[in-house]
Order: sequence, then structure tokens, then C-alpha cells
Amino acid sequence: MHNAMDYIDKLPGFVEEIKSIKETIISNIVLIGQIPSPTFKEKNRTSVFMERLSEFQVDECTTDGYRNPIGIIRGTSESKPPIFVVAHLDTVFGQDVDHYYTIGENSITGPGIMDNSVGVGILVSLPGIFRKLNLRFESDIVIAGAIQSLGKGNLRGIRHLLKTWNTPIRAAVCIESSELGRLNYYADGMIRCEVECNISTTNGMEYKFKPNAILIINEVINQILQLRLPQKPRSRVIVGKTFGGHKHGVIAYDATLGFEIQSTSDRMVKSIFNNIKDIVEGISHEYEVELKLKTISNVHAARLKFNHPLVKSVVSVMKKLDLTPVSEPSESELSIFLSRKIPAVTLGITRGENHHQKNARVEIEPMFKGIAQVVGVIKAIDNGVCDE
Amino acid sequence: MNKNWLDKNTFHYSEFKDLHQLVAEKQRKKQTISLCLPTLNEEKTIAKQILLMKSELMMRYPLLDEIVVIDSGSTDKTREIARSYGADVYEANDILPHLENFKGKGENLWKALYITRGDIIVYLDTDIKNIHHRFAYALVAPLILFDNIKYVKAFYDRPIAIGKSKIRPTGGGRVTELLIRPLFSLFFPDLTQILQPLSGEYAGFREIFETISFPIGYGVETSMLLDIYEKWGLDVIAQVDLDKRIHRNQDTRALGKMSFAILKTFINRKRKLGMVDFKDDIYDEMIQYNLVKDEYKPDISHMVEVERPPMIEIPEYREKFNRTL
Repeated sequence: MHNAMDYIDKLPGFVEEIKSIKETIISNIVLIGQIPSPTFKEKNRTSVFMERLSEFQVDECTTDGYRNPIGIIRGTSESKPPIFVVAHLDTVFGQDVDHYYTIGENSITGPGIMDNSVGVGILVSLPGIFRKLNLRFESDIVIAGAIQSLGKGNLRGIRHLLKTWNTPIRAAVCIESSELGRLNYYADGMIRCEVECNISTTNGMEYKFKPNAILIINEVINQILQLRLPQKPRSRVIVGKTFGGHKHGVIAYDATLGFEIQSTSDRMVKSIFNNIKDIVEGISHEYEVELKLKTISNVHAARLKFNHPLVKSVVSVMKKLDLTPVSEPSESELSIFLSRKIPAVTLGITRGENHHQKNARVEIEPMFKGIAQVVGVIKAIDNGVCDE
Repeated sequence: MNKNWLDKNTFHYSEFKDLHQLVAEKQRKKQTISLCLPTLNEEKTIAKQILLMKSELMMRYPLLDEIVVIDSGSTDKTREIARSYGADVYEANDILPHLENFKGKGENLWKALYITRGDIIVYLDTDIKNIHHRFAYALVAPLILFDNIKYVKAFYDRPIAIGKSKIRPTGGGRVTELLIRPLFSLFFPDLTQILQPLSGEYAGFREIFETISFPIGYGVETSMLLDIYEKWGLDVIAQVDLDKRIHRNQDTRALGKMSFAILKTFINRKRKLGMVDFKDDIYDEMIQYNLVKDEYKPDISHMVEVERPPMIEIPEYREKFNRTL
């Protein structure tokens, strides 16, 4: 019986082989990444994704009932379950933002390139990369672009895909543009919320003495910060964004706060949520203002252990490629696979800067090692590391 | 006026999406195709242009046989970047160095005839933000597929990039609408059917390009059209809708200078054809005024529109390509 990791010595050689088709890989990144794809409006990017995937001769190319685009490379075995490779298609940028990328000597710059154009471009390039490396797999390789992933999308695309996929899945690899070296194999429980404060805008004398929506939100933040959060299970509240008001000299009559509750325990997430709900209701009552707490999205805590064979083999693959694995919780497609007891990891492809800004920039050179790493992990799964 | 031309010789790029068929037909006809990119300080756009063309039209579909960059002496990293992405890069001054040197897009296009090997040459401007391989394949397709067509021009729905990251749906083409179209309407009504006569993207057979002269500057597109029309007629010309072209917008003063050069080229052509007669010579200076501290001061640009002769008249070219006059 062959060792599941017996191919590992070939990985450094794969890097140069993959680099020899860099024009095709970068073309895929650019041609797909330049199509605006805000969450809920991924249709155009989906079309180009399908067009490129079918040009690279996958055995099947289709969309599921939710319009997630999918390509399938048929494996040699009829009995082995498929391996999923996924990347989310949506970005945080609107359709009116100029998405045209600039390619430099060793970089690509433009909105969404770090989240997740490189990931999506690599996904579409995989059939060509496998051909170049002369690799065939026992399992079917299911290449899936996930729509409606970010923010209010609440991972709907991947949730639907997995809910309606009615045969077992061997394992999954989720691809993100950055950062090379990331190894995510656990997801915290999470609830993402918004608190909206709206003050009635009636004119007249009363207007001068209205409460200030920004100060109300400030009070909400202060009270959240006073919550005592346990170190075990590890829990935190991240105050992520806030906006409100209209003019410097006018009392703000609307303000919004966006935050996430994260914990390794779903029960703790729920408990903190209830505490914050009480805070919001209390302030609403005492200040006589309209305060709404809305849940935008949520995921359950789930994890592989560090000694899971998949995690161990990813670490081996990374070490062979001189990469140092860095692990943090990840609330992405990964959490949906893990919550369905499907072994999965998230890997980053390259390094970059200005993550969610319009001038986001990724380095080209490290990308080829990042791709070799993905190929190595797929190969490990195909060789059976998750089967025991 | 030849009114059928617009219907017969106007195409949309989507008609030529079957690259397998294009490559097969090109190979059957044993044709070679060169892509020429004239540059001057295009470090922001050149890499993407070369990379996409190389990936899609050389590595995946062998439609192009070479990508050649002819540079006018860029002071940024244009040449370095172009080389690193695999283009053949030349400085215009190093080509046929015994000839007097001029600087301009037309000069680069003309010298490209000596450097490139293709039977068909595609010229693409290099400031296109939304470059796509359709810009090349759709321009060469009518040349490969239809024996009567010898020269193909691009036209677009032209959004102009405004601000740093916003796009508006229409606009551009001011020099075309304010200068070229009125001139064509007055003197060559057939040519008004060419929707964007100044587009910088076109393709044609070497045998056409080598027998026409090239103004070194802005007038090259106008002169090319007029000369091809005069020598071979409208039916050898086709135009292809390439959808959108997003590029840098130029201010009115720059367009004024462009118009000056084009107008001079146009007048020179009319004179050659005996269609107009001026008693006096026309001037070489474009005069624009600036308000400087309450005073109007002229800004004078000396714009001599030099023309390169048909390349076939250059002995080195005839020797290299085995041509006779």
C-alpha cells in the first residue's frame, strides 16, 4: 500500500512547473476579478467563471439550484467520494467601482484582488494546472465558486450547495487570496449584528433637545465593553464598524454600529448575544429612542483537531515548501463544511497589502508556492489521509 | 455614396469567438500574424496587455506569432516590464538607425513594419484599461476569413474613465465628431460610415501598410484611412465593434493639438489629390492662449507633420522582405 504522502518530495518541482503557465493563471485572475461582484449580484462574474472553466475542459460545468457555478473533473474511481475545492465569488466592492487591474513587474493591484480574485482565478486554473502537472485523481474534483458568502450573504451559497449535495464528500479545501501560510482548520461560533439608532426628525423647538444618535451608539459600545467575557471558552466582541450623522453642526439623527460576537462555544455566543440584547433594550427604554438589534449572519463553532490527519498533512506540505503555518479561527466556507462533519481547511495563496481597499495589491511570485500547496493538499486527500 | 458598406462590412466581435476555427483557417492559409504595441510611458497598462494576449492568443490558441513593443523612449519601466512578460522590445531610435529620428506613434508603427515578420499586423494602443484578447482576435478575424478585406478598424461604445474609480456609460470621440466627421462629410461622405476613424486599434495586411506613407504623429490614423480608401476603395475596409474601451481622458487643449495635426494631414492629402488649392503655405504652429496673472500669453507648439515614405521604398526593407518596387 502506498504512503498517502509519498508524492511530497515532488512539491518543490511543482512550483516551477506551475510558474511556466503563469500567463494563463494571471489571465484567469484578471479576467474574472475585473468583473464586479458585490454580494447578491454575482451573476456576471458567475458567467465569466463558467465560461473560463468550460474553456479549460472540465468534464462537467453547471450551476446548482442556487446559481453557484460548479465544474467537475471526473476521477478514476467510481467509489471514492468527491473532493471539494471552493472559493467565494463575491467582493465588498459595488458595481460602480472601477475594477480594472494593473499588473506590475511582480504584483497585481485592484479592488478585490486580495478577497478573493486570486482565489477564484486559481480555482478556475486548476484543471489546466493539473494537466500541466500530469495529475489524475481517484476522486472527482468539484470546483465550486460560492456566491453570497460575505456579510449579509451569510454564506448562503455554500450552505445551499452542501445542503443539496446528496452524496458524501471526502474533504474540502477552501481557497483565499491571502495570506500565504494561513492554515485554518477551526471556526468560532459567531453572530454578526447591527444596532441601528434612529431619532425622529420632526422640526420645531423640540428638535434642539433631541438625543444624539451617535452618543446613543456610543453608550451601547460602552456598555458592551463593560461585559465580562470569559477566557474559557475563549470569547470576544469585535466592534467592527460604525457610521452616522450628516453635518458637523447638526445633532445626528441616525447612527449604526456593526459588531461580531465570537467564541469557541456556541452557547457562549448566544449568552453574550442575549446580554447585548438586554443592553440595547435598556438603552432604548431609558433614552426613549428607537434602537434595533439585527442579526446579519451567524455560524456555529466547529473544528478539526490539530492532530487530524488532514491538518497534519497540510503542515507537512507547507513545511516541504518552506512555509510556516499560521492558524486562527475562520468564519468562512470552512465553518459550513466543518459543521457538516466534512474535514476541511482554508489555505491562502499569496502575500499582499491594503486588504479591503481599492488599491489592494498582491505579489505574483509567492503565488506559485501557494498553488503548489493547494495541489499538495488535494493530492493528500486523494491519497486517503481523511479516509480513516 | 456606397450605402451597403455599413451593413456588409461592419461586424461585432462576438461573431469571431470561435478561436479554433480562426486558428485553423489561419493555418490553412499559412498566414503569420504580428501584434505591434507602440508605447511611451505605459508601465501601468503594458504588462496586462502583453500577458493577456500571450496567454490567450499564443499559448492557448496559436493565433499570434509574435508580440512586438516599439517604444518611443519611455522614461518609466515600460520596456523592462514588457520584456519581463515576454514581448520583443525595441526602441524606435534603434530601428533603421541611419535614418533621421522622429518621435511619435506613427513613427513606431512605421518602424514596426521593418521589425515584425507577420503577413498580418495588428496595431493596438497601449493605454487600454479593459484590454481583452478580443481586441486582437476580432480585428484579425475578417482578414483571415474574408478574402476581400485587407484592413480592419475597431469601433466602440466608449466610456471614459472619470475620477479615480467611477465609470460613466458613454462619451468620448470629441475630435471625431467635431473635426473628422464634418471633414469626411464635406469631402469623402463614404468614409462617414467608419464610426470611429481615429480609433488606435486596427489590423491589416503587410502589403497594404508597406505601400502607404505614415505621418509620424497624430495624423497617422486619418492618413491611413484616406490612403487605403483612395488606393483600394471602401470594400477592402471593415470595422468591428469591440464593445467597450476604457482609457485615459485627454483635456481639450491636448485634443486641440491632436486636431491641428490631423487637420494638417487631411489638408496635405487633399492637396496631393488636387482637391484643394491654397495660395499660401499653411503654418506649422498651433497657438493656444493661457491667462497668466491677468495677461493672455500664447502657448505655441511647433508641430511639423513629417511623413515617412511607404516602407517599401526603403532599400533595407526590400532586402529583408525580398520585395521589389
